[in-house]
Formats: sequence, structure tokens, C-alpha cells
Amino acid sequence: MPLLTLLRKVERTILVVLFLTMVALFFGSVLMREFGGTMASRFAWIEEAVRLMNLFLVFLALGLALERGKHVGITNLRDKLPEGARRWLLRGIDTVGLLFSLYVAWLGVQMVQFVLKSGQTSPTLGIPMGLIYLAPVIGFLLLALRYGLSLFGLIDRFTAQEAAE
Amino acid sequence: MIFLIVLLAVVLLLAGFEMLLVLGVPALAYKEIFYAKLPDPAIVQKIVGGIDHTTLLAIPFFIFAANLMGAGQIAAQLVNVVKALVGHTRGGIGHVVVGGSMAFGSVSGSAPATVAAMGRMVYPEMRRAGYSDKFSLGLLVASAETSLLIPPSITLIVYGWMTGTSISQLFAGGLAVGIVLGLAFALFVWLEAGKGGVTREPRLPWSERLCAIWQAKWALGMPVIILGGIYSGIITPTEAAAVSVVYAIVIEAVILRSLTWKDLFAITERSAINTAIIFVLLAMGGLISFFVTLAQVPNGIIGMLDQVDAGWITFLMVANVCFFIAGMFIDPNSAMLILVPPLFPVAQSLGIDPVHFGMIVTLNISLGMITPPFGLDIFVASSTLGKPVAQIIAGVWPFVVVNILVLLLITYVPQISLFVPKLIFG
Amino acid sequence: QEFVAKIGHLESTAQSRHVHLEKVAELVKERTEGAVELQIFPQGQLGNQRQMNEGVQLGTIEGTVAPAAFLGGFNPAVSILDIPYLIPEDAAEAQALRDGPFGQALLATFADKGMVALTLWPNGKKQFSSNKPLDDLAAFADQKFRVMDSSILLEQFNALGASAIALPFGELYTSLQTGVVDGEENPLDTIKNMKFYEVQENVVISDHGAMEDVVLFNPMFWESLPVEYQDVIKGAFTEVIPELTAHKAAAVEEALQVIKDSGTNVRVAGPEERAELRELTWGPASEAYVAMAGDTGKALLAAYEEATAK
Ligand code: NA
Ligand code: NA
Repeated sequence: MPLLTLLRKVERTILVVLFLTMVALFFGSVLMREFGGTMASRFAWIEEAVRLMNLFLVFLALGLALERGKHVGITNLRDKLPEGARRWLLRGIDTVGLLFSLYVAWLGVQMVQFVLKSGQTSPTLGIPMGLIYLAPVIGFLLLALRYGLSLFGLIDRFTAQEAAE
Repeated sequence: MIFLIVLLAVVLLLAGFEMLLVLGVPALAYKEIFYAKLPDPAIVQKIVGGIDHTTLLAIPFFIFAANLMGAGQIAAQLVNVVKALVGHTRGGIGHVVVGGSMAFGSVSGSAPATVAAMGRMVYPEMRRAGYSDKFSLGLLVASAETSLLIPPSITLIVYGWMTGTSISQLFAGGLAVGIVLGLAFALFVWLEAGKGGVTREPRLPWSERLCAIWQAKWALGMPVIILGGIYSGIITPTEAAAVSVVYAIVIEAVILRSLTWKDLFAITERSAINTAIIFVLLAMGGLISFFVTLAQVPNGIIGMLDQVDAGWITFLMVANVCFFIAGMFIDPNSAMLILVPPLFPVAQSLGIDPVHFGMIVTLNISLGMITPPFGLDIFVASSTLGKPVAQIIAGVWPFVVVNILVLLLITYVPQISLFVPKLIFG
Repeated sequence: QEFVAKIGHLESTAQSRHVHLEKVAELVKERTEGAVELQIFPQGQLGNQRQMNEGVQLGTIEGTVAPAAFLGGFNPAVSILDIPYLIPEDAAEAQALRDGPFGQALLATFADKGMVALTLWPNGKKQFSSNKPLDDLAAFADQKFRVMDSSILLEQFNALGASAIALPFGELYTSLQTGVVDGEENPLDTIKNMKFYEVQENVVISDHGAMEDVVLFNPMFWESLPVEYQDVIKGAFTEVIPELTAHKAAAVEEALQVIKDSGTNVRVAGPEERAELRELTWGPASEAYVAMAGDTGKALLAAYEEATAK
């Protein structure tokens, strides 16, 4: 599926750029404080920016993590079940995961709308605070997509574990 | 009703649902049943609220740095130095895990960050030295607990603020209690190492030791930067985490050329995924803590204590049990915010020293980090080492027992907590 | 009971805000014969202040008592309170300003922000502390001070030639100890409670920053209350203000003693120094304020000038 391949590439690139930017910003703020004199005051926004970027980092990685079988869970009993029962259980997990992720994403959309309407802005950057709730919206949609693809057998997230490492 | 929701969580857990569903689905059910009138989007607010803290940022950065050091040469070089120095002793690398976690944990102040940073370095080496998989994992996860006790410690600062206790005195007490806990783990290592199976390295002449140190000169810059940077007041622990990433990239990719830019891309991505796996659980934990707070459970416990007119011995036992149970199911830092306000006045009325009570609380918070099912350090080890959660739990429980013994000792021998503060402050 | 309100705040249980919230809860329970229960959740149990403010708008919680400094993102107009020396030194004059047209206009700016602002609660004045000498205003130059997230407070330190550094509150004690930053600004009782005096050499009592709390309720909840209950709640909140002020003053007095006893050098800034500090900071701080709060801000500033001109 070329679309899915493209999506993965976009997700991975965003994660890498976000993470490296977070590192660079924090490092930069240390340098500014040590060597920048009063210029350091102009960089007080960095703490807030990195905290917000971390929210996006966390939620945007949820889908990839699921696809690669990385999310933690206690799978001993599940894996001991006979093949037929196990397959049904896995479908059950995918279904619950799909519904849960979609529901949380939908609540996230409401939260984004509500906070944007209230006009709340972030204290130092001044950006609309509603945008931070876009992070869980996108993240849980990406997660829902993977649960859905797994449910319909389009990806195999249960044996992908070793291959991805 | 509560029973059914707990049952649901247990069923999901045993059926092998992802932990985020094990925590999230029952929380949604609880909300719909008990707080139907609460606006639903609040769920998303609490999920985000669980991870929207600057001090948590040390975790992703230290995970990132540890992955870089593990994939490159820094970790191996550091381990070589340690092996050259103490590899011949009984316990060897096992003691290094305890000591290293105490040193790293003292400055990072974050148990999960300590597990992430130490794990990739020392776990393979422990296995190579012949320690069992379970013991290695258990020791790694448990040793990180000392980071909340050994100063500086945000946990102690928060306790000091909540209760009006001197932070310097708490730090002094925390140092003593942290060392006692570390020694208990070291004793456990010493016993384990005597069982056979664990090999010792030959004792090296000093010329070879110095050679190992020289070879690791770039790698040794890492602890120097982290410990030195924090204690000299150039950086905060959170910033130290970010600086350690920059240092690791420069050393591995530019100076030693042990990582290509393509490797760097892959490691960054993997670190992001490791972070997400842990933080999504913290996020779900934020949701659960919110409902536990609303339920005002501690008030009921205090009422019960009043009725039975408990003395300090009973009271501290009840407090420990409350913290233990809370620590199993919610993020222990939230447990502290919920439990300390009702329990502390009772402790005071029973004449318990605030520093002593602070040690009991902090030791419980540390313990909560490693108790299943919600044990953040277990998840961090699972995610960063790629080990199944069940395997880590199997390794951790003997350490939980050791920890409980230490907790009882600290609880009923107040002198241990108060000795150092009295020595310093009179 | 017919009405239950969850009210969250950031302070610990021994501090003035919590003590008097409990008092208000008691008064309200008594006067409504148990029909209205205010449940008080201290020390950020319900989340940080941003989340509590948002929770009040959303209806997750019914109320919060928020320091004005944490409300700028929700209602930029309220940041006027961040301007140094805005609130008069004299307690009676200060209360008259809160009760008068300026105070009422300020509370009214919350109406279209999805919050009912009931009243302002005084919560002391900020002072400076540092590990470097603070002998006069010139000594502030090149020192590093930790500030809360506020562009007005940044301007305050800029005007003194100092750097303003953003650090999380939880990391502040250690950062002062190791020297990541030289100093900070907080009321004396906070300096005592957070034990900053253990790691600070010098304190200057300048009373430069007012710590005003805004009592906020969720509009839906507030409208659902019968008018008589609304009056009872509002009455209780305003009634305890003198007691709150006295409690705070006693706490500050005790804190001052503790800080002095610890060997920290405490200096009281004289009237000339305060006037000079006000002179230095007023311009840049009020410009930063108007840049944030626009026409509403200009109008409030005008109302303030009118109220204090007399
Ligand atoms: Na520590
Ligand atoms: Na736990």
C-alpha cells in the first residue's frame, strides 16, 4: 500500500525533526543563559515550546508503536491460547482499540473546538492553546488507523515485533 | 459497580490488551457510570494533563541519550572502565548497577530516566557476567528507586512544600535512607553472586586499568558533563538530559564516527517511540488519578482511624498499606498529592517527626514505581530493552520484598531517618 | 445537598488561601443549611493552574481560586495585576481599589471568557531574593532571576538589566542551590514554605508585585444556583477578606522571622528606592501589557489611573 508507506515516511520524518529540534532548543537555551547575558530573557519561551512539542512527539508516535508491536501489555496468557481462540481474541482487542481510539479522538476534536473558542493562548508563545489538543486527536486517529488495519488483516502487528527492531 | 470495573481491568490485563486500553477503557466506563454529568472532553484534558509537565522531559531526553550511547561506543567504553576497576570482586557488575543508579539517579531525580539510561548500558553486561535474566532486570528496575531519595529530589521538595518541612533536613534524611536501600540491594547482589553461575573477571594490573580509562576518555566526558554540570550549577537535571543527547551525538557521530547519520535517524525515531509508549501510560494514569482524587477516598480512611483510636504503630502500618495499594494502581507522585494532605496532620498529632514521615512517604513513592500492574519503571525497562512486561515482573518481585523489609525498618526505626539530619542540623 | 462544587487551587493546606477556602465552605454550608457543599482540593490535586482554569470553563470543576499571574493566557486584561506597584501599599486603599470601579471592571472582563469572576482575594506582595548582593537597584544588573511565564514580568527584569529565566517551580529550589539562577521573586511566606531561604543569601523587601487571586466559577454552575445561594457564596468570599489579609500578614511576619533567624540577610527597600523601581519598570511593563491586552487593556489602565488619581 503506497499510501501507508508514504504516511509512515511522514510520521517518521516529523518525529525525528521534532525530537532533534527539542534537543537543539533546550541546548540553545542553556547556551543563551550562560553566554547571552540579558538576551536570555528573550528565550524564555523555549521551555513552553519544548513541552508542547513533546506532547506532539508522544501522540504522533502512538500509531507507529502499535504497528511495530511495541506497546506494553501482558501477553503470556494470550499467546498460550489455541490458534482459533487466539485469533478471535486478537480481533476483539483490535475492535476495542479501534473504538476506544476513535472515541478519544472525537472527544479531542470537541476539546480543540472548545478551547479555540474560549480564546485561551499560551502564556509565553501566545499561540492558541486549543492547538495542543490536536496532538491527541491526530495521535489517536493514527492509532485507530493501525487498529483498523490490523482488524481487517491489512497489517500484522502481532508478529511484526522482531522484524522492526 | 466499582468491583465490576476493577474486574474489567483485570480481564483486559490478563487477556493481553495493550496497557493503554487496560487503563483507558475501565476509566471511560467509570466516568460514564459515576460522573455522567462531567463533560466528556474532560477525558482528553486529563489525558494530556498527565504528561504536560516540564520535569517529565528528562525522560525522553535520557532515553534518547541512552539509545545513542548503547548503539555507539560510549556505553561499551564506560562498562569497560567499570569492569577493569571492579570486575574481579564478588558481585562486580551487580554492584555497579546499584552504585551507578545511585549516582545517576541522584542527579536526574527521575527513576524512569535512570532505568532508561542504565538499562542499555549494564543489562547486557550483567547477562554476560552470568546473572540470570530475571535478576538482572529486577536489579536494574529496583536500583533506580534510589533516585527519588538521594538528593536532589523533586519528590522530597514537593513533600517539604506540602508539609512545611525543611528541605535541607529532608535531603539529609533522604541521603541516609537512599544509602540504606542501596546497601540492601548490594547485599542481595552479594548473596546472588555467591550462588554460582556468576563469573568474576581476572584482577587487572593498574597499567591495564589506566589503559581502559584512557580509551574511554570521550565516554567519561558523559558522566562528567551530567554530574559536573548539575552540581556546578550550569544546568538543571532536565537540561542535563538534553545536553547529554548533544554530547552523545557529537562524540558518536563526529569524533568516534561510530554512528552514521542514517543510524542517528533510526535511533531518534526509536527513542521517540520508546517515549510514546511510556508517556501514553502516564497520560492514562493522569485520567485515573483524577477520578481517584474526586472520590476522596482518604477521608474515609481517616474517619476509620479516628474511630479505632489508632496509635502511631498502627497508623504507620495503615499509611504504608494505603501507599502500597495506591502505588500499585496509580502514578505514585499523584498518590502523594492525594494521600499526604489527609495523613500528615494525623502523623503530626501522633508525634511522628515530619522528616521521618517524609522518608516513609518517599520510600513508598519509590516502591510504587516498581510494583505491578502500574509500575512505570517496569514499563520503561520493557520498552527500552524490548523485554515482555511479565518477564520483568517476575524479576522484580524479590526486590519488592527487599524493599518492603527496608520500608518496615525505616518505618519502625525512626533513628535511621533522623540520624543524619540531627548530625548536621543539631 | 443539592449543589456540590469542586474547587481546586495550588496552595498547601496550611496556607492562607486554603484555610480561608475551608472557612468559606463552612459558612456556605451553614447558611444554605447544607444545600451547597464546596469541596476544596488543595495543592494542584486537580491539575496545574492552567488545567484548572480550563476545567472551570469546561465544567469539569466548578471553581478555582487562581493567582492572576496564571490567568493571562485566558484573559490578557487581568495581567494588569502583573505590573509592579499597581496595588497601593496601604491595605485600606488597596481594598477600595478592588471594590471600586476599577476592580469591578477587571472582574467584568472575565464575562466573555467563559468564567464568572466573583471577587479578588489579596494574597500578599512579592519580594526579591538572590544569592548575589541586592544592595541597590544597580546590583540587579546581570543577575539571573527565575520568573513565571509572563511577558510583563520579563519586562520588569529587563528594566533592571537582569535576565529573566523560565524554570519550573519544582526545580527552583535545586536551581537556586546549585546556582543555575541567582534569584527569584515571591511573597515571604512562599519563600519560607518552599524553603528558598535555605538556599538564598539575600532578601529585599520591596513589595513590588501584588499577588492577587481571582475567585472563578463555571458559568453554567453559577447560573444553576438560586440567587439567594449566589448571594450567600459571594457574601462569604468577601466577608472573609479582612480575616484573610490578617492571616496572610501574620504568616508573612512569621516567615520574616524564620528567614532572619536562618541568617539570610534581609533588607527593607526605602520609599525612594521603591519610587525609583516603579519609575524604571512602569513604562515598559505597561507597554507590554497594552500590547497584550489591546483596547480592553487600555480602558482598564485608564480606569486604574482615574481611580488612583484622587
Ligand atoms: Na535524586
Ligand atoms: Na506501581
